[in-house]
Amino acid sequence: MPQVLTANRLSDGEVVYLAADGAWVEDLDAASTLVTKADGEAALATGAEAEQNQQVVQAYLFDVVDALAPLRPIKKREIIRAAGPTVRTDLGKQARV
Amino acid sequence: MYRYDEFDQKLVDERVEQFRGQVARRLSGELTEDQFKPLRLMNGLYLQLHAYMLRVAIPYGTLSSRQLRMLAHIARKYDKGYGHFTTRQNIQYNWPKLADIPDVLADLAMVEMHAIQTSGNCIRNVTSDHFAGASADEVDDPRVWSEIIRQWSTFHPEFSFLPRKFKIAVTAAPKDRAAIKVHDIGIVIRRDASSTLGFDVYVGGGQGRTPFVGHLIGESIAAGDLLAYLEATMRVYNQYGRRDNLYKSRIKILVHQIGADEMRRQVGVEFAEIKSHGALALPQAEIDRIQAYFAAPAFEKLSDETALLASRKKQSKAFAAWHDTNVAKHKVAGYAIATISLKPIGGVPGDASADQMDIVADLAERLSFDEIRVSHEQNLVLAHVRQRDLFDVWQKLDEAGLATANYGLISDIIACPGLDYCDLANARSINVAQAVSKRFADLDRQRNIGELKLKISGCINACGHHHVGHIGVLGVDKKGVEYYQITLGGSGDETASIGDIIGPAFAENEVADAVETLVDTYLGLRQQGERFLDTYRRLGIQPFREKLYAAH
Repeated sequence: MPQVLTANRLSDGEVVYLAADGAWVEDLDAASTLVTKADGEAALATGAEAEQNQQVVQAYLFDVVDALAPLRPIKKREIIRAAGPTVRTDLGKQARV
Repeated sequence: MYRYDEFDQKLVDERVEQFRGQVARRLSGELTEDQFKPLRLMNGLYLQLHAYMLRVAIPYGTLSSRQLRMLAHIARKYDKGYGHFTTRQNIQYNWPKLADIPDVLADLAMVEMHAIQTSGNCIRNVTSDHFAGASADEVDDPRVWSEIIRQWSTFHPEFSFLPRKFKIAVTAAPKDRAAIKVHDIGIVIRRDASSTLGFDVYVGGGQGRTPFVGHLIGESIAAGDLLAYLEATMRVYNQYGRRDNLYKSRIKILVHQIGADEMRRQVGVEFAEIKSHGALALPQAEIDRIQAYFAAPAFEKLSDETALLASRKKQSKAFAAWHDTNVAKHKVAGYAIATISLKPIGGVPGDASADQMDIVADLAERLSFDEIRVSHEQNLVLAHVRQRDLFDVWQKLDEAGLATANYGLISDIIACPGLDYCDLANARSINVAQAVSKRFADLDRQRNIGELKLKISGCINACGHHHVGHIGVLGVDKKGVEYYQITLGGSGDETASIGDIIGPAFAENEVADAVETLVDTYLGLRQQGERFLDTYRRLGIQPFREKLYAAH
């Protein structure tokens, strides 16, 4: 199952995702889809490095439905992180669309 | 109200500057996250799903208008214009930036507030009766004793690394409005025939994964011995509480494993030891000093305004409904206690906007001796309103969307933030609260149902107090899908009980139907004057189970 690397940005806690160019992006759709085990391991190593240099905290992988856009997480927790509170659609990433 | 002395202020100011340095060192990389995390938690700062979350202590739920205005200011300046009042009488901000936290704490310190000991394995914010100092049934003001306990437990070096977090609640009324029997330590203050105060100490209550009702361990402890007895209890826990298993580390597990009698014996031994040194005897002068801060406000000599209120109620049906539901009797003639519901129909339980906070602060300053209470049921309270001002208060609240007449009714739901915000949650809880609230939106119907405490948690940690809900709802994750387990017959009052699981869990869109079936079953079975809980206790779970799963 394809995966995406996520974390929270250290300075403000914003949910971020690792993009293909190594940048941390706020939008899930801009994230890099990790298909192979090696992709996942490499991303985790990048995440660990970003933790070391004060960019992010708590980097981890989560599953997404498939590699096609728009990316959709499997777990409710990640769906909510990617959008914002379901009970306050005026807040979080969903409010910026 | 208690006011900081120079020591309190210095302590809090110094802590702000310490944390400012720690945040700077974290952002510059001098501190790793592993090193920083315990430091931020000691200052109430969590990392949740979307952002950081700051939990600010509101000692025993009492605020001045100035303090509430500062909470509103922080919501506007550093957050997204609102705050969430919790079951621990605290307020949580859901979106602050790490770099701003030292400034938030500095703003809080300006109004004698902080976020110290709102997390971590220490003695947390002491909670109490939100009607303290106003209710006719209390024997003393429990906030005096809560404040004494707060001072003793703040930065107590022996109890800053306990096996697990520790929560103390205090009441001085026979009607327990502070859920003291489901706290690590719950204190009931009583007065004997000679009017001497005695403190009954319940130990080992709690909710979470393994819920228990606390046991009476210390009976009629003298006022001067209160801290010695608490210290003795903490020592037994600190020595024997488990540190090897997170799920067995609370004092309730220790009490359950060794038994209430053995706990009482061990605490007794420690108590005698502490008393023999005399170091912790609480001097009467110190009690008097704290008591003076909580002296009753300058109540006017008034009579109850029966005729005026009757005429106002005739004038407005909505005011009549609010008065009958949200206004409680005050100990002083001509005054009343007004509960401000933070549970609008379909709203988020416990949330208040910055503008709403300012409006409540203005009302309190003008018409309730400058005091606001936060209840563990996630509402606000104006504790000392002249009956002649109630209509004015209600009008202002109504304009601000704060006059929902549902105190104690089925839509006055406790709900934790759940998976919409919380990193620990397995399922959402606010959405379920909203669905049930909308289902029972008709307030006449709610009043006909009568007192019904519905409490919802998004995980087994039970921040939403589901174990003590007359109807409790617990969110669980079943293979990635949210399900909700229902319990019946819980209660957090003086007749405390833990709810019974009724059967298999329900899908999200089935919960409101299930609750409605349970309520209809009760309405069909209740006898004259019975609340839902009374009918349940008389008949047991079976008739409810039959109806619920027959319909399912």
